[in-house]
Amino acid sequence: MQAEEAPRQLFPEASEITERTIPTTPDLQQRVRALLSRPPTLWETAYRVFTAKQGASLVGFVIVVEEIGKHRPITYAIAVKPDGTVQDAAVLAYREAYGGQVRERRFLRQYVGKGLGDSLRAYQDIRNIAGATLSVEATGRAMKKAIAVLKALGDIK
Amino acid sequence: MRASVRVVTEDIVASSRRSRTIAAVLLGSMLLAPAPGARAASMEELEQKLKGLEEQMRTLKEQMEQTKSAPPPTAPAAQAPATPVPVAPGATSLSEALAAARPSVLSDFRLGGYLSSRFEASDLKNLNNTFTFRRFVLSGDATIAEKFRAYVELELERFTELEVERKTVSENGQQGFSQSIEGSNNSEVSLEQAWMQFELAKWLRFRMGNILVPVGRFNINHDDNLWNLPRRSLVDRGVPVLPSTAAWSEVGLGFNGDVATDRWGTFSYQIYVMNGVALDSSIETVARGSGELEAEVEIQPRRGTGNLDVKRDKAGAARIAWSPSIGQELGLSGYYGRYTPDFLPSEQLWAISVDGKVTLGPFELEGEYVRTHFSGISRVAQGFARSVVNKEFGTGTAPLEAKIDFELSGLADTKQGYWIEARYRFFPNFLRDTILGRSFDNPQFILVARGEQVWLDGLVRQIDFEDTMVTSISRENRFVNRMTLGLAYRPVPLIVFQAAFERTWTDSGKSLAAVTNFLPARTTENIANTFLFGAAFGF
Repeated sequence: MQAEEAPRQLFPEASEITERTIPTTPDLQQRVRALLSRPPTLWETAYRVFTAKQGASLVGFVIVVEEIGKHRPITYAIAVKPDGTVQDAAVLAYREAYGGQVRERRFLRQYVGKGLGDSLRAYQDIRNIAGATLSVEATGRAMKKAIAVLKALGDIK
Repeated sequence: MRASVRVVTEDIVASSRRSRTIAAVLLGSMLLAPAPGARAASMEELEQKLKGLEEQMRTLKEQMEQTKSAPPPTAPAAQAPATPVPVAPGATSLSEALAAARPSVLSDFRLGGYLSSRFEASDLKNLNNTFTFRRFVLSGDATIAEKFRAYVELELERFTELEVERKTVSENGQQGFSQSIEGSNNSEVSLEQAWMQFELAKWLRFRMGNILVPVGRFNINHDDNLWNLPRRSLVDRGVPVLPSTAAWSEVGLGFNGDVATDRWGTFSYQIYVMNGVALDSSIETVARGSGELEAEVEIQPRRGTGNLDVKRDKAGAARIAWSPSIGQELGLSGYYGRYTPDFLPSEQLWAISVDGKVTLGPFELEGEYVRTHFSGISRVAQGFARSVVNKEFGTGTAPLEAKIDFELSGLADTKQGYWIEARYRFFPNFLRDTILGRSFDNPQFILVARGEQVWLDGLVRQIDFEDTMVTSISRENRFVNRMTLGLAYRPVPLIVFQAAFERTWTDSGKSLAAVTNFLPARTTENIANTFLFGAAFGF
């Protein structure tokens, strides 16, 4: 899946998708870091944010973020509802030698409805994939980062 | 409409650093616009200017679309990339740009691996207590091109030293050579995996090279840092029921893949053809003071060669696994092939395995059953006897002039066994603000209990032969049981500290040494109690 296709797939009910690119400024990093309580494994230099609307009403946002699995970054498209919970997610690029099961829908479905206050950690509120623990942890961090960036931008409360 | 305006404004801000022309055009537009208080423009003039502005906006949009399709590179949290990377059109990020603009395999090569060591204290007199350098494994993987991946794993087991010395000596005017090899005892350097994979589809990947044999679940997930006990299971390692000890790999080719369904979960498979396990010999020669040379030849099944297939016959292995939901898996696997070299009668061995894993919140239950059958052991022994007399069997010594003892090690008509491991993961809240929890995202303690049993039916103990005839084969049925209780601490997923107590026992009055490959028990020691402490980490 390409990033451009993600909003339509993650918000199938959306009738209008608009896109913007937000540069990662030191101020934004500081706000995101404060929301996460710790820095992410990498900072993107810009965030692609898609706004999904159905008619005049806002249905949510899709943001492209990355987190390092074991050696390489995993690229996610994460759909977040206006209330700050995860609507859905997709792995756009997985580059590790092992642990590709995090791309599976049944794994990603575990994050639906979860928010910044949830643990999103293996063996806590997320079922682990044996041999892919680092990718599972990275997925939880990516979800939190996506929500934190949107909060820091003022898109969601 | 309001949203659209915001999009344009924010996009302009976002790309302003990279698009100075945008600012220039906007500034130009402002300069061209009439100043306040200037003469009132006619409707036609205003329309003309509006059209001009629309044209400029259209140009700006096109420029922005181009800019958006190639966003600036992603930077690691700790440091920015040292050199700018050309971003490929359509790339989402630096990662994709790197994938598209990869200059060579080396740029994508990632080095990893694991290291494990252990301390054990046993009530066996010959073991007492010792530190063991279990393994240092270096692994590397690379995406060679789109859909092509390579993986390699080199293992140094109990290995600390290898020194080869070769020099020319001169004595009494005579020239000669002196050669010596020194190395750490009982150590091994092994290429555990080295393969290339071509992904035709998610459900069809072609793999070729040195491949892990997919029998059971341990062999394909054998990295020490993944497990919470500091000793490998009996069926896979200590009393190998697998045709060859884990990690068992063979040179061959085949396919693997995954099929994910919404309704029935995920199915995965591996199927390979390979050289396969063959009887192999290790020879220990002892020179007596009398000038006699004694040779002890230990013959046992080992992983096949990476060169000429001494069996001239191929083996096959396959595993199919069904995972109805995350954390649950059921696997069925098997292996079939000839295990005798071509100078011996053709005899087959087969192995089957059932394995599985169940996860319920912090509880996990995982296990594996393996059954292996060697056919025609008597005929194989007879063949050996004939080969020795006919000098077909190359021991490196002159068999008829020296005393040779043969030991058919690890051969039994049928070997079967299982391990089952229960785990409970937890981390007490009162430890969160201590050194065990403060610095880590998701630290864990894991309580582990593992039960194991192995049965060896028709285990060959001794073979006597005269001339070309086997005069007697001594066999016995044996069992080995082991119970292990342990506690592991994982500050992060890649690091584990393991403490465990294990009790291993076999038939009363018989030695554990005869049926295990890790306990140097005396002839009457049939029970071993051992405390183990280990550490392993991956990187």
